[in-house]
This record gives sequence, C-alpha cells and structure tokens, in this order.
Amino acid sequence: MAAAALAAVLGIVALAALGVGGGSGGATHSFAAPRKLTPLQAYSEQSAIRAGAAGVDGARPAPDLVPLPASAFNRPFAVSRSYDARQLAVLVPELATLRAALKRDDRAAAEAAWQTAWARYLRLGGVYGEFGALDQQIDGTPGVLPGGTHDPSFSGFHRLEMGLWTGAPLASLLGWEARLSVDVYRLRRFVGHVPLDPLDYSARAHEILEDAQRDLLSGTAVPWSGAGVVGTAAGLDATEEVLGTLRGLLDGREDAIEVVDTWLVRLRATLDSIRRAHGGVWPANARLTQLQAEQLDGTLGGALEALEAIPGALETTLPPPIPPLPAPRPST
Amino acid sequence: MSPLDRRQFVTRSAALLGAGGVGALSAGGAPAAASAPASPVEALEARADAAAVANLAAAVPFDGPHQAGILTPRQAQATVLALDSIAPDQLTLREALQQLTLRARELAQGGANPLLEIDDPPADSGILGPVNAPDGLTVTIGLGSSLFDDRYGLARQRPRQLITMPNFAHDALDPTRSHGDVLVQVCAHQRDTVVHTVRELVRTVRGTLQQRWALDGFQSADRGPSARSSRRNLFAFRDGTANPDVTDAALMKQLVWVGSGGGEPAWTAGGTYLVARAIRMHVEFWDRVGLQEQQTMIGRARDSGAPLGGTEEFEDPRYDLDPTGRRIALDAHIRLANPRTTATAEQRILRRGYNYHRGFDQAGALDQGLMFMAFNQDPARQFATIQDRLAAEPMVDYITPVGGGYFFVPPGTGGPNGWIGSGLFASA
Repeated sequence: MAAAALAAVLGIVALAALGVGGGSGGATHSFAAPRKLTPLQAYSEQSAIRAGAAGVDGARPAPDLVPLPASAFNRPFAVSRSYDARQLAVLVPELATLRAALKRDDRAAAEAAWQTAWARYLRLGGVYGEFGALDQQIDGTPGVLPGGTHDPSFSGFHRLEMGLWTGAPLASLLGWEARLSVDVYRLRRFVGHVPLDPLDYSARAHEILEDAQRDLLSGTAVPWSGAGVVGTAAGLDATEEVLGTLRGLLDGREDAIEVVDTWLVRLRATLDSIRRAHGGVWPANARLTQLQAEQLDGTLGGALEALEAIPGALETTLPPPIPPLPAPRPST
Repeated sequence: MSPLDRRQFVTRSAALLGAGGVGALSAGGAPAAASAPASPVEALEARADAAAVANLAAAVPFDGPHQAGILTPRQAQATVLALDSIAPDQLTLREALQQLTLRARELAQGGANPLLEIDDPPADSGILGPVNAPDGLTVTIGLGSSLFDDRYGLARQRPRQLITMPNFAHDALDPTRSHGDVLVQVCAHQRDTVVHTVRELVRTVRGTLQQRWALDGFQSADRGPSARSSRRNLFAFRDGTANPDVTDAALMKQLVWVGSGGGEPAWTAGGTYLVARAIRMHVEFWDRVGLQEQQTMIGRARDSGAPLGGTEEFEDPRYDLDPTGRRIALDAHIRLANPRTTATAEQRILRRGYNYHRGFDQAGALDQGLMFMAFNQDPARQFATIQDRLAAEPMVDYITPVGGGYFFVPPGTGGPNGWIGSGLFASA
C-alpha cells in the first residue's frame, strides 16, 4: 500500500513538473467551478485521494456535484426548439429534391439528395430521443423489427437507403418517400412543444457523437450507403447547436467547455480535410484511407473523452442518498 | 459431475504426463503451496501456481446422463463454434455427429497421440505435444432448429421449444454470426487446449459439417476476495451472482433439464436448451459514464458486487422492502432480470457466459462484449420472458446483441459407448 501511495504522489509531482496542474480558468461564475482533468490526471488524482494524498494541484478538489436550478434550462430549450423547427422546414424542400430525382430515374442525384436530407434530420440531435415512435418511422433501423428488412413497419430514411443502394427500381421508392414526407409533416407539428428534460438534454451534448461512433462510423445503422462520415459531420453540427444553447450555463463552471471546443475544432478540421481529399463529396466509410479513418476515429474519440464531462457539469439535482439494506441475511 | 479433488488431479498427471512433465510442473507449484504467503500479491501467485498444476491434468468426465460443460464450473477459456450441415443424407449426418462425439471424448480424456507411419500426416495436429493433457476440457454439442427442416427427415423429432432465435427489442443480429445447424461449445483452462480441440473437431467432420461462425471467449481471473466471488464482465461488474446453485439437483431438474412428457419427444429427456447471444458491449461509451450512473443501471456496487445499499455480494437485495426503487431502481438490470418473486422463480436461467475481445470495429472502437450462454428448460418460459422484461432497461444504450442462436443440447451419452444425439436418430 505504501508503494502505491508513493507511486501516486510521484505521479503528481511529475505532472506538476510538466505544468499540467491546471487552474480553474477564469471562474467568475457564481457556480462552483470543478476542473476538467485529462484522463491521466484524473487517474492520478483518484489514486492519490484514495491513498490519502492531495489532488493534482496540491489540494483536495471540491466535489463537482453542484446542482443548477432546472429553470436555467428554459432558455436553452426554447432556442433548441426553434432551431429544430427551422431544420425541419429546410428538410421539406430537400425531400422534394429527392422525390424529383426518383421521378426522373436519376440514381446518383437521388443518392445525393437522400444524403442531404438524412443529414438534415440528424441535425435535430438535441431532441430526437424524444420523438418516440415517429423517430422509428423516420430514422429507424430494421434490426429491431421482428421481420427485419421485410417488416412492414420498416420505413423512412433507411428503407429508402436500402432501395437506393441495392439497385431497386427508383419508381418503387416513391411510396416510401411519400410516407417519409408525411411523417416529417407530423413531426413538424410536434417539434415545437416536444417535452425536454435537463438531464437528457445535457446528456445529448455528449451522446449525439457517441451514437455517431457506435452506429454510423461502424456502418451498423447505414449498412447500404456507408454514410457514416456525413452522418458524423451532421452529428457535430447538432452537438455544436446543443452546446451553443448551454454555453451560458457552462461558462466558468468548468474548464470542460474549453477542452471540448478545442476538440470540436479539430474534429471539424479533420472532417473538412477528408471531404476536400474526396473532391468535395462525403466519402462512404469504406472509401476512407486507413490514415483518414484513423484520424477521424481518433479525433472523434478525443472529442468524446472531453464531452463526457458535460452532463455531469450540468446536474440539476444532487443524487439522493441510497438507503442502506436492512440487516444482511444470506441469499439462497 | 462434481469437479475432481485437486490432489486427485496431480495423481492423474503423474500417470498421464510421465515423470518429466510432473517434475517440471511441480517445481512452480509445490514451494508456493508449502510456505505461507507474505503479501496479497504473493497469495495470488500461490493460488495461480497451484491452480496451473492442477488444471492441466484435470479431466472432466465426458460421459454421463447429461453433457459436460453445463453444470461444470466455468473453465477459463472457451470457443463457441456453429456449424452448418452439408451432408447429402441423414446417414452421413448421423455418422458425422457420431465421429464428433468419439473425437471429443478422446480429447476430454486426454492421452498419448498414436504414432503412425512417418510418411503419413499425423492423426493429431500435435500442437499440444505428443500427449494431450485433458486440461479440464469439455465439449458440449447442441442442435439448431434448422437441422430439423426437411433435409434429413428429422422434423417430427424437433424439440418442442426449438425455434430460430427471434429478434428481441434492440437486437441487431448479423445472419453470418447467428444460428446454425450444430453448435459446439469448447471450454478448457488453457487457450491452446481450446484451439487444439476446435482444430481437431472441425477436421473430424470436414466435408460434412462446415464452420458458420465462431467466437472466442475468456473468463476473468479469480481475483477474490473469496473463491465464490463472481467474476467480472467487461463492464467491470460481477456477473452471475444470482445464478441458481448447480449442486442442487432438484433445482436443476426444475430449471435446466428437460423432463419426460410435457409434449417433448422422448429422446430429449435429460437435455436442455442453450441460448447463445453474442452481445457487443460499447465499452468506450461505458467508460465515459459516471460510476453512480453505471451502478444505478446495474443495481449493484461495482467493486463489491453488493446490491445497492448493501455491503456483500450475495446479500438479498430485498426488493420487497424497496417497492418504489429508492435503493435499487425499478429498471435496474438485476431487478428486471430476476425480480426474486415467487412468480418469477421458475423463470431463472443458468448463465455460463464468457467475455470476448475480437479487435476493433470499422469505427476503430474496441469490439468487446459478452458471449452470453444460458441453459434453461424452456426458453419461452425462462429466457425470452426475462429478455422481454430487459427491453426497458437503460443499459440497452450500451450493448448490442449481434449474434448467437437457440440450440437444443441433447442428453449425455449415458456411458462410454453412447454418442450425443443417438436418441434422435434411434427414433427418427
């Protein structure tokens, strides 16, 4: 045990020598300002605290569970709802472009229009977890349906994706496009007053890009088009939109937002350079070179490690204490 | 099917491996066992050394009323292998299954490999040396529902509950990693034993049973605090705490073994249903979630494995005293999986899963997860009921079931002349 404590302290000394102690960065906000540590710093700090020593900048850190009032989210929600309404308004003519390409039997144009419209829908990242069954109809994947791709309720963007990239006659897809447009119309009536929850909303700032890594760049959710790169770019837009609405709450509350900003700029630059390298179009996942894939996956991973701090920084309630179990009795 | 006493293993190793092998092995094991360990690390070392000596020579009986590898304590390593039959007729299929049993039995018993003519290819690949140590090997054979289609005239003998594994909520089953005519679960203490066994078995049935999918698994090491402590899965939580007691024969009869009657064909008595599920765990995402949220999702403390509010892994979570979920959330994994009520007691399953790691996915994310393996008497009453309840758990964001299948595991051979599946063909 003594050896472990010593190692932890030595780790802290080494970090301090490198100048990574990190101040709380202009914390002028009325909320307490916990720090964002690198994973290595956090590990060293937790080890040190466990061993009875101090944190990376010499003092035990204050607990970072400092709740915000729920009302602090009223304005972010209002901004977010009007952003989403605008995105859906743009989606309508984008679907019309897709419809026109299907009608004139132009597969390349239809695929491009599909990509544009689908990426538009992904920009609603802050709220789409709240759309329920309508989201399944618009952007659901067939894996969860009992009949898979043959299931009658498999519809929406991915039903069109399957048809477009597997050579289905384009005229046969017009019905699916019409159904999608109807669902989007229904969503437009709903999106302005979709119920939002502070905890879920701040989790979205982190999880939109988690979904991009898990479902899009892996190809899982886009097996036919492989459109993970454009999907990730749309997820980045959505993340920035959500973060933008939360910026006032995050400012000074954590260094987290500064670290996140740095990573999101890098991620944007990586995506842009990939697009340029592919002649200005978003490449399918499989068309990324190994180096491009590593740059994108790695930068996205770095961004996610930074984004993980956002939900914890925006809690509105302290977790209730867990009541103890009554006198233990061995289970059978 | 109780595991042999360790001392007995060492005795067996003398007979099996010869003096040289035993001498080499006990050099590491004996001194550690003799002197009292001075530190926790040394205690772990002593434990590991003693286990290594015992395990390589350990043989699990292949023959019996039930197949091995079901109630057998989990060995450290496993491969689950699904095969499809390309046999042209029932007789060819029958012979392949018979050969599969014969070879599996030889390997589980261990022994010296036969020496053939020097210009012949060796009968055994030899990657374990001239003597195959049994190493706790079990080979468990299951049959998929597709084997009972119209190809081999077996449709009337189909076990009543054997269907193609359905898509459950949140599943993303990859057909190339799902289902299959025959399933072989190979478990042993050492990786090379498992690899050798898989290689020998597929060679045995080559041209008749062809590989469809496979998944390699490993068990977390015994890191205490007690020998009974459940091992951790790749979410770092102890897994298997509430497993039914395999030494309780009456309970196994109630939850695991298919009995006679009840509409099942007679040949199935003494068998069981295996639910195999390759469950991808999005571990990077999980690692980015606060510990409290992780624990709330599971319903247990990560380090001790105790139910939340408790102190010890095997404590009863007492849901009866927590009807509103103040202590353990109503949608926590352990609460939905096993509500511990009288009504749900008959739904319990025997889990025997393995962690897996198979590199990276297309997005550069670690491809890790759980090869979930569960034995139960009636998958509709047991596994599927539980799985439907789990559709509502928050943990679904962090996992994706990607493969596996339902299989019927026939009864054991009954003796050294029997073979797995013989009852099916006797009545077909």
